[in-house]
Amino acid sequence: MGGDRAGQAGMMENFSALFGGAEPQPPAAAAALGFGPGKPAGPGSAPPPTAAAPQSGEDHSRKTAASSGPFYLMRELPGNTELTGSTNLITHYNLEHAYNKFCGKKVKEKLSNFLPDLPGMIDLPGSHDNSSLRSLIEKPPICSSSFTPLTGTMLTGFRLHAGPLPEQCRLMHIQPPKKKNKHKHKQSRTQDPVPPETPSDSDHKKKKKKKEEDPERKRKKKEKKKKKNRHSPEHPGVGSSQASSSSSLR
Amino acid sequence: MAEKFDSLEEHLEKFVENIRQLGIIVSDFQPSSQAGLNQKLNFMVTGLQDIDKCRQQLHDISVPLEVFEYIDQGRNPQLYTKECLERALAKNEQVKGKIDTMKKFKSLLIQELTKVFPEDMAKYKAIRGEDPPT
Repeated sequence: MGGDRAGQAGMMENFSALFGGAEPQPPAAAAALGFGPGKPAGPGSAPPPTAAAPQSGEDHSRKTAASSGPFYLMRELPGNTELTGSTNLITHYNLEHAYNKFCGKKVKEKLSNFLPDLPGMIDLPGSHDNSSLRSLIEKPPICSSSFTPLTGTMLTGFRLHAGPLPEQCRLMHIQPPKKKNKHKHKQSRTQDPVPPETPSDSDHKKKKKKKEEDPERKRKKKEKKKKKNRHSPEHPGVGSSQASSSSSLR
Repeated sequence: MAEKFDSLEEHLEKFVENIRQLGIIVSDFQPSSQAGLNQKLNFMVTGLQDIDKCRQQLHDISVPLEVFEYIDQGRNPQLYTKECLERALAKNEQVKGKIDTMKKFKSLLIQELTKVFPEDMAKYKAIRGEDPPT
């Protein structure tokens, strides 16, 4: 009998140990939270998920639960950091100048705008002529570690045939036509006649020159008109006078 | 820092110019220009040596691989910088919006909970201490 009672007491102890200690539940907290009967309230009565849970975690959770009072699962707030997404990171890292430079103005699309002095057709994709940087990284060429100058015997391999290259190889020297357009644009500016100036803009010298040229031009135009009129059938009077004069000469 | 870039840039420009002149010689080669060709070839080797020497000064510089894709497509690499800045700004604005929305939600939630559970919210505010509802 005594042994059976001792065994039953041990089983009860194990039973209570599995489901938490005998901590009294605060009734006020349960009522304040509005939980009805039958629902668990308070951290002490909640069974731990596994018996092998680390004790330090349980102690921490019990401490935080105890300090939070009636609020179960209340955790500490994360520490306040100065730098969050709510701050303007561009001003924080002093990138305003860079932002205005790249995003304020129009950045040209082509590579030749970034490297205008580089010869060759650089705006074409690198995959066309196997000149891509990606292929250089993925398959680096096998070469020696040092650069040795070419000796005389090595240079004999660079003896070339005289004459021009075939047209297929000449494409390497073609540069983008932008520079030519600029020159053309500049040349066109100089070659174009002086645009009509307003009286306030023109100089006295130019006025004098124009005055001198204008009567000469007028005389030339008049002479041309006279010649045309003499030879045209629309003016019989002039033509008949010419005929009469020519006949009179004969 | 700009000095080491200037040195590398200078060496690269000289190297490219040398190659360009070499190409001109080869495009219409004459036997008399063999000596010049040999000289250009040796300049090419010395140019590569100079560029290799610049590498030691720039060992701490890292270039993102995405820039190479822009260059391989014949596009201006400054567009990559521009797009990076634009993406950073857009993400910054997005996160700021989320933070502001969450703050507003928190203040509204505390406000409404205070109406329904005044005593509990008073305890909550006391526990939170220096974290007043916004």
